[in-house]
Amino acid sequence: MKSALLTAVILLVSSSGLCAAADRPGETFHAYVDTDICSRLMLGPINEARVGCSLSTAKDGDEPVLIRLQNNMVLTVNKRKMVEKLVGQFMQATGQVKVSDGTMKLSEVSPEQAKDIPAGDPARKLIDPQTYRTDAKLYEKIRHELAMMPYTSEFDFISFSLMGTDVILTGWTVRSTNRSEAQSRVKDVEGVTSIVNNIDVLPLGHFDMQIRAGARAQLAQSLSRYFWGSGSDIKIVVKNGDIILLGTVATKEDSDLAFIRCNSVPGAFHVFNLLRVRKSSGS
Amino acid sequence: MSKKVKFNLNSMRAGMTVALLLVTMAGCSREQKPTVKKIPANAEFSGFFKSYANLKPVAGMEGAVGYAATNAQKNLHKYIACVIDPVEVYLASDADEAKLNETARAAATEYFRAALVKSVSSAYPVVDQAGPLVLRLRAAVVGVDFGGEVAAADKDADQKKGLAYSVNIGKVRVEMELLDSETGEQIAALVDKENLGNGAEIGSTQLARNVKWAAARAAFDGWALRVRDFLNASNELSPEDADKADKSYQPYSSATVAAK
Repeated sequence: MKSALLTAVILLVSSSGLCAAADRPGETFHAYVDTDICSRLMLGPINEARVGCSLSTAKDGDEPVLIRLQNNMVLTVNKRKMVEKLVGQFMQATGQVKVSDGTMKLSEVSPEQAKDIPAGDPARKLIDPQTYRTDAKLYEKIRHELAMMPYTSEFDFISFSLMGTDVILTGWTVRSTNRSEAQSRVKDVEGVTSIVNNIDVLPLGHFDMQIRAGARAQLAQSLSRYFWGSGSDIKIVVKNGDIILLGTVATKEDSDLAFIRCNSVPGAFHVFNLLRVRKSSGS
Repeated sequence: MSKKVKFNLNSMRAGMTVALLLVTMAGCSREQKPTVKKIPANAEFSGFFKSYANLKPVAGMEGAVGYAATNAQKNLHKYIACVIDPVEVYLASDADEAKLNETARAAATEYFRAALVKSVSSAYPVVDQAGPLVLRLRAAVVGVDFGGEVAAADKDADQKKGLAYSVNIGKVRVEMELLDSETGEQIAALVDKENLGNGAEIGSTQLARNVKWAAARAAFDGWALRVRDFLNASNELSPEDADKADKSYQPYSSATVAAK
């Protein structure tokens, strides 16, 4: 009888503990509301150019994401509507963060101004202009390691930023193992002290696959010189029907042609042309 | 609503249910039964591939012949995912097919398929639908034979599912090919004659759990890993492509470097 009573008490206590855990709202932190594209390509301080990028890509329908200011981590949120009107602004976000896949279950948001974040707070790292003494050799080592990754295709784009000895990995990949492979390679580079991994793993749904194949066919047809046996200078990131063009081409005309070609891919919602034009040696 | 309309709605519902059942049954009847074939007597290969013409010895893989397309438009680099078909079985030419137990066949082929998924998926994520940029991986276990009667002590607790004869994979080899999932064109192929199954037998339908048949599991795992090794070697960049990839790769965030 006694033991039955004891078991019941233990069960009650543990179940109330579990409920409390389930109800726990998670953590609260300072964040900047960005878009998927800008967050993965414009690393570093939240300046005028960054806000401009956020606002223009949001207008074109790019997905809103949160930047955790203290460490530049990009978080995809479950409740898009809660943040989409706050793109380009700062806020306090409350919710449960899952670092392994860069997602956050939002429970509460509260807009704030940059000046509300006190001086000395680690969250000001991305607000106050800072200069980093960066070792060019270290940068090159990391760049080379990422360039030589096997199983990367024209549908993956992995980028990084080096701030002192801290590395932020970003970009998009169709293979989830590329996310961990990139981290593992950079971790092994001597001199790197910390890594934040913001590489997004893209869905492989039939619809996006058709757009990928269609975009590659269009570009290979008219810009074949940028494609070679195992890769290409032009990267085609496809996410939920949107095409993001990245990489480098020789002329503005080629960049415009790529944009026009991809706009004719059946099923593609929007094309974001972020191709860079190579500077001629004379300029 | 009148009775007549109600009746019509009910009969429509019943009709739709029957139609749905018929469609489902038709779908089921189309499902192919697992086929067990035999290697033709004195043949070098099983006949699982349409063509073996392109196979050549694979550097660094003893006992293996393979092929990887070098066509600029159709090669392993041009695909990013794969579907994996159920594994097929080819019996040795002189094997008595009457001894084959269907449950044992299913246990062995499902185990090997799972091993293939595990070893291949980090290179080519496994999807469930054929389509653009998707490869189809077909694999066969070739040369399966039968051993002696399974000892009573080794039989499964459920005697109905127990095997009368052990399955001998001592002389088995593996044939695997990767096809364009839309056109069926062969993109890569591997015939692995490495004798990993030497001494390995399957005497239980509980292959995945039974300690006794660990050697058979190790052989299947080994073949799956060799498939991955072959893919890794075939995906290696040529020195020329490696140079292009290195020169082409420029991170977008370089502005933040501002080296001092």
